[in-house]
Amino acid sequence: MVTHTPVTSIANSSAAARKHGGAFDVLQEWITTVDHKKIGLMYIGYALIFLVIAGIEALLMRVQLAVPNNTFVSPQTFNRLFTMHGTTMVFFVGMPILFGFGNYLIPLMIGARDMAFPRLNAFSFWISALGGVLLYFSYFAGSGLYGAGTAPDVGWFAYAPLTARVFSPGHSTDYWTLSVLLSGIGSIGTALNIVATTLCMRCPGMKLSRMPLLVWLYFVTSCIAFIAISPLTAAQIMLLIDRYLGGHFFDTQAGGSAVLWMHFFWIFGHPEVYILVLPAFAFANEIIPVFSRKAIFGYPAMVAATIGIGFISMGVWAHHMFTVGLGPNANAFFTLATMVIAVPTGIKIFNWLATLWGGNIHFTTPMIFAIGFLFQFLIAGLTGVMLSASPFDWQLGNSYFVVAHFHYVLVGAILFMIFSAFYYWYPKMTGHMMSEKLGKWHFWLFVIGFHLTFDFMHIPGILGMPRRVYTYEADRGWAIWNMIVSSGAIFQTIATLIFVYNLVWSYFKGPEAGADPWDAWTLEWSTSSPPPSYNFAKTPTVESRRPLWDLKHPEDPDANYE
Amino acid sequence: MEHESNTEHNAVHMPAPTVWPMVLALGLTLIITGMVTSAAISALGLLLSLAAALGWFREVLPVEAHLMVETHDEEIEISSARKSIDRLPIDPLHRKMVPIETFRVTTGLKGGIAGGIAMIVPATAFSLLKYHSLWYAMNLMAAGGFVSWAGQSNEFLAQFHLQGLLAALIIHTIASLLVGLLYGAMLPMFPRWPILTAGFLAPLIWTGLLRSTLAIISPVLNERINWFWFIPSQIAFGLVTGYVVNLQARVRTPQFQALPFALRAGLHGAIGEPVEKTSKKDGQE
Repeated sequence: MVTHTPVTSIANSSAAARKHGGAFDVLQEWITTVDHKKIGLMYIGYALIFLVIAGIEALLMRVQLAVPNNTFVSPQTFNRLFTMHGTTMVFFVGMPILFGFGNYLIPLMIGARDMAFPRLNAFSFWISALGGVLLYFSYFAGSGLYGAGTAPDVGWFAYAPLTARVFSPGHSTDYWTLSVLLSGIGSIGTALNIVATTLCMRCPGMKLSRMPLLVWLYFVTSCIAFIAISPLTAAQIMLLIDRYLGGHFFDTQAGGSAVLWMHFFWIFGHPEVYILVLPAFAFANEIIPVFSRKAIFGYPAMVAATIGIGFISMGVWAHHMFTVGLGPNANAFFTLATMVIAVPTGIKIFNWLATLWGGNIHFTTPMIFAIGFLFQFLIAGLTGVMLSASPFDWQLGNSYFVVAHFHYVLVGAILFMIFSAFYYWYPKMTGHMMSEKLGKWHFWLFVIGFHLTFDFMHIPGILGMPRRVYTYEADRGWAIWNMIVSSGAIFQTIATLIFVYNLVWSYFKGPEAGADPWDAWTLEWSTSSPPPSYNFAKTPTVESRRPLWDLKHPEDPDANYE
Repeated sequence: MEHESNTEHNAVHMPAPTVWPMVLALGLTLIITGMVTSAAISALGLLLSLAAALGWFREVLPVEAHLMVETHDEEIEISSARKSIDRLPIDPLHRKMVPIETFRVTTGLKGGIAGGIAMIVPATAFSLLKYHSLWYAMNLMAAGGFVSWAGQSNEFLAQFHLQGLLAALIIHTIASLLVGLLYGAMLPMFPRWPILTAGFLAPLIWTGLLRSTLAIISPVLNERINWFWFIPSQIAFGLVTGYVVNLQARVRTPQFQALPFALRAGLHGAIGEPVEKTSKKDGQE
C-alpha cells in the first residue's frame, strides 16, 4: 500500500501567465530580485564561476610542480597563482556557495516565504560578488590604471611584513585587502539575515527542537561568522592604515608586530574553517538520513556538538602559529583545545554512522558523495589531531603535509558534500533530475583524482617539501610524488567537466523531478519544483522534525517519539 | 518583513523587486576602488551610494513597497514510494525507544562531587607515603595550569602553595563535575555489570587516554606522574561516582510518552523489557 496525502501548495499563476521577455527583461529580473531563491542561485552560480577560475589556477600550479626544475610559469606568476587560488577558494567559492545553499533552503525548510531582510540579502550578495570582481580586476590594474597590472602575491593569509609598502609596492596587496573587506561586509549581512530568519520566521509548531539540523547548523555558522569576521575586517583596516597613512601596526621596524597580524588573521582563519565545514555537515545531516531511510541518530547530541564546535573553534587559532615559538603555556593550551575539538566532531561522525547502521541504504549519487565525505573527513580529522601536537607541528608546519591536511578538509569533506548537495537539491531548484549515470562517472573519477592528489601529497611534506615552493631540485626525492599528485589533478578536472556538463544537460533534458523525488521528510519537498516565488500559499504547520514523514505515515507519526 | 502578511483572496504580499541594493553595493565598491585607481571612481561611487540610499529609503518609508502576487491552490500529492510488506504480528513497541528512563543532570553532578572527594584519599596516601607531604599530588595537578611547575623540584612540590591549592581545586572540581555528568549520561546505556564498567573499565580507559595524550601535550609532567598510584585514585572515583549515580531516582524521557497507555499506566508488561525484533525496526523503512 502506498500512502497518499494531498497537500495544498501553490502555483504562481502570475508567473505562469507571465510572458517570456527578452534578455534585458531576464537580466532586469535577476538584478532587481529580492527573492531568496534567486539570490541563492546567483550566489551558487557566481561561486561556480570562481570555482572554475581557481581550479584552473590550481591546475597551472600542479603543472609547474609536476617535474623538477620546471619553468612552465615564472616565479612571480606562481606567487600570484597560489595567492589568488587560496583567496578565491575561501572567500569567493566556499563562503558564497554555502551561503547560496543556505539562502535557498533555510526559508523553505522552516516554512517561511523569504528571508527576514530580503533587500539586505540582495545587498549582501552584490557586495560579495563585486568584491570578487575587484580581486580579479587586479590582474589588469594591480599597479594602477596606468601601470602594468599585477595580481596580489602575498599568499592568502598575507603575513606581515611582506604586505608592507616597502616589500609590496604598487596596489596588488591593496586589491587583496579591499576585496576581502567587501566580502566580509557581505558575509556579515548574510549571517545577520540567517540568524534573524531562523529566530523569527519559523512556521507554527517548528520549535527550535524541531528545526531541521541544516537550519541549526547554519544558525551556528552565522553566529561564528559574526565573531570571526570582525577581527579580519579590523586587521584589513589596520593594514590599510599602515599602507596609506604611515601607521605601524604591523611594521616591526617601528615598534609594530608581525605576530599581531598572525593573531588577527587566525582568530578569523580557524573559525573560518568551521564556517565552511559546518554547512557541509548540515548537508550530510539531511542527505544521509533520507538515503538510509532512517531518522537522524541523536538529534539533540548533534545540536549540542555543533554548538560545542562553535565555542571551541574560537579558542584554537594559535595552532596555526606553533612555529612562531609561543612558549610552553600557549603551546599546551592550544594543543589541548585543538585536541578537544575532536570530541564534538567525533560525536557527529558516530551519529552519522549510527544513522547508516541497519538502514536501508540507497546508493544514489548524493549518498555516495556523502559516504566519501564521511571517510575522507575522518582521515582529515586524524591528520588534524596529529598537527595539533605542537612538537609534531614544529617538524611539519608549512610543509606539503599541512597543505594535504587542509585540502583533505576543504576538498575531501566540504567539496564532496557540496557536490552531494547539488545532486540532492538540484531537482528542487530546477524541476529536473540530474543524470545518475553522469553523476556516478563524476564521483568515481573525482574520488580517484582526489586520492591520487591528496593522499600522496602528504609524502613530499614528510620528506621536507615546503609549501609555496616554486620548483625543486631533482635529487630531493620529491619528483615521483609530485608527478602522482599532479596526475590526480587531471582526473579531478575531467570529473568536474562532467559535473558541469551534467548541470547543463539536466537543465534542458533531465527527467521531470516532481515535488518530492527522494521521498524525503523536510518542508522544502512539500512544494512544487522549482518552488513558486512565495514558497507556500498557506503557511505549513509542523508537529515533528520530519513533517513529511508525518503526512506520509499518519498511522505512525514522529510526533509520538519526540 | 512584509512577506509575513497573510494570504488574502489567493494572493500574498511579497517584497517588491528593487535595484537599489545592487546600486548601493556597486557604489560602495567604487568608493574603495578609487583608492587603487582614481579619485574620480570614488566620486562616482559616492554619487551612486547617495542615490541608492535615497532610493532605498523612499522604497521602504513610509510603507514598504510590495507586490500582491496571485496564487491558486494546487494539489501536490505527498506520497511515499516505500513498498509496504505484510507485517508479522508486531509488538506495540515496534520502534525501539532507548532510553525510556534516564538520570537527571544533577545526578551526574552529585556523583562527580562524591567521586572527586573519594579520589583525594588515594592521591593523598600516595603523597604521604612517597614524599611525606600532603601537598605533592595537589601541586602536581596544579602543574596542569602552571606549566613551569612540571619542571620544579620534588621539595618545591611537597610544600604548600596557596595558588597551587586554588589551581588544583579548580582543575579537580571541573574535571570531576564533567566526568560525573558523563557517568550520569552513560550509565543507563550500560545497565549490565555496573561495577565493572563504571568502577574499573571506564577509569582504565580514561587513564590510558590521559597518559597517551599527556605524553604529547606535556612530556615533562607525564614523566612525573606515578601511573601506578594514579589508577587506584581513578578506580576510587569510578566506584564512588557510579554508586552515587545509581542511588538516585530515574526520570522518564519523552520517549516514554510514545508507549501505549497500558504500559505507561503499569497495567501490562514492564517498560524495561527488551522489545522483540519485528519486520520494521527503529522507525526505519
